[in-house]
Amino acid sequence: MEYTISRFFKFIIALIVIATAGWLLYQLSSIITVVIIAVLLAYILDPLTSSLESRGISRTLSTIVMFLLIGIIILGLFAYFIPLLIDEINQIQRSIESGQSSQYFERLETFIQEKIPLISADDLDIDGRITRALSALTDSFFMVLGSVVSLVTTLVVIPFAVFFLLKDGPVMTKTLIGMVPNRYFEMALNILHKTDLQLGAYLRGQSIDAFIVGVLSINALWLLDVKYYIMIGIFAGLANLIPYVGPLVGGGAAVLVVLMNGGSGMDVMMVVGAFLLIQLIDNVIIQPLVVAKSVDMHPLIVIFAVIVGGQFFGILGMLLAVPVTGIVKVSVSELYKGIRRYNVI
Amino acid sequence: MEEDSYWTNIFKKKEKTDQDIYTVLSKIPIFRSLTNRELRAVERILHRRNYKPNEAVFHENEPGMGMYIIEMGKVYISAGVDNKVLAVLSNGDFFGEMALLLETPRTATAIAHEQTQLLGFFQPDLFSLLQTKPKTGNKILLHLAQMIAERLKHSTIENRHLKNKLTELETKKKPVKVR
Repeated sequence: MEYTISRFFKFIIALIVIATAGWLLYQLSSIITVVIIAVLLAYILDPLTSSLESRGISRTLSTIVMFLLIGIIILGLFAYFIPLLIDEINQIQRSIESGQSSQYFERLETFIQEKIPLISADDLDIDGRITRALSALTDSFFMVLGSVVSLVTTLVVIPFAVFFLLKDGPVMTKTLIGMVPNRYFEMALNILHKTDLQLGAYLRGQSIDAFIVGVLSINALWLLDVKYYIMIGIFAGLANLIPYVGPLVGGGAAVLVVLMNGGSGMDVMMVVGAFLLIQLIDNVIIQPLVVAKSVDMHPLIVIFAVIVGGQFFGILGMLLAVPVTGIVKVSVSELYKGIRRYNVI
Repeated sequence: MEEDSYWTNIFKKKEKTDQDIYTVLSKIPIFRSLTNRELRAVERILHRRNYKPNEAVFHENEPGMGMYIIEMGKVYISAGVDNKVLAVLSNGDFFGEMALLLETPRTATAIAHEQTQLLGFFQPDLFSLLQTKPKTGNKILLHLAQMIAERLKHSTIENRHLKNKLTELETKKKPVKVR
């Protein structure tokens, strides 16, 4: 009897803990996003720091050297790409303000109505939808990066956190492991090591893949003389993180821009062809080389994760949903395997 | 004056314990010939664990991750269903080193006999050392290989010896059979 009661109380306490954790997670969502971004970046950059360290430089100095290198690269990008990018954003903003984009959308609506007579103009309302979607996009982006923790703070906090995660990462893990009781100590070490190996390979693979697809897209769109090629290219690269749907969305954005600017059917075909080619290269050459197959996630799980991420954290959440799901999947499966092997349950 | 001796005592004590770790480490075969600087790097990645009397360090058949060095205390190594004690290890001894190379189940159970302080050196630490300090990592790996080669040599000789004994016994038995 006592046994049942104590179990019941344990259950209630567990429920309260989970509910509190959930509530806290929700309340701290903006900070959590910042933490997630910092952890992901630290993970991706860790091998670079380690390889510098293997040349006999101390970990602190290697981290500083790597930060300087990245700083120079980012400054270089700023000097070259950012003015172009800002120009693109300004153009989009101007065309929305001047009602020029409405004209594009009307043109697009008539184009669709001509081809598919079943759809009425009221059903479409592309102009309204896209304007709303655009403002939702910028809103959600700045909700995360902007309102709660201001943009400047975020831009300072993320590099700051990444720096210390990189520099003190090994010490932090050792301290954390040190707190595990003797009985579970080796198991915890084992699980952490396995998770670390798989996650590192997965996250690095994903980011290299997204980077290459982004660069290829920017080049292809630039060659095809598509407007806003940098923005669409970056978007296509990031969207590529989301399997199945991402590439479609990336290509769709490019096609939309071509249509809005009065592109011909031939132009659209060229853009679609370019994206198909990039997908082919990605799937046949890049992915088998860089993306770890060990983190195989079911398409359904990925799609649901993306939707949930979007629900809570907006566009940024949708992008972060895939790697975070990967992290959760690997951790849970390794935890389960470890516990089974050590006969804990 | 009193204060002075107070502080020197504290610092001396700290220095002494630190030195103790290095003397313990430098006597372990796999850390042999490491420079003081390299030993310090190794010391930084070791996990120091404290065990109460009769607390298990690991159990037989559990997956092993690495080796333990006894910094202070006593550990009983036992195996089998009846938990027969195979060895009693004390300060400066080490055990479980095979798990550094192979992730196989432990072949024996290790239990602390008294209040014991162990230093753990595990596979992931060896791998990260190989990555961040390849020179130190390679030295350790080489010593580990030498130690295992030595053991292999011993067991080969023992194996041959036993085989000889077996054939000897068989030839002795044969005449009996013929009769």
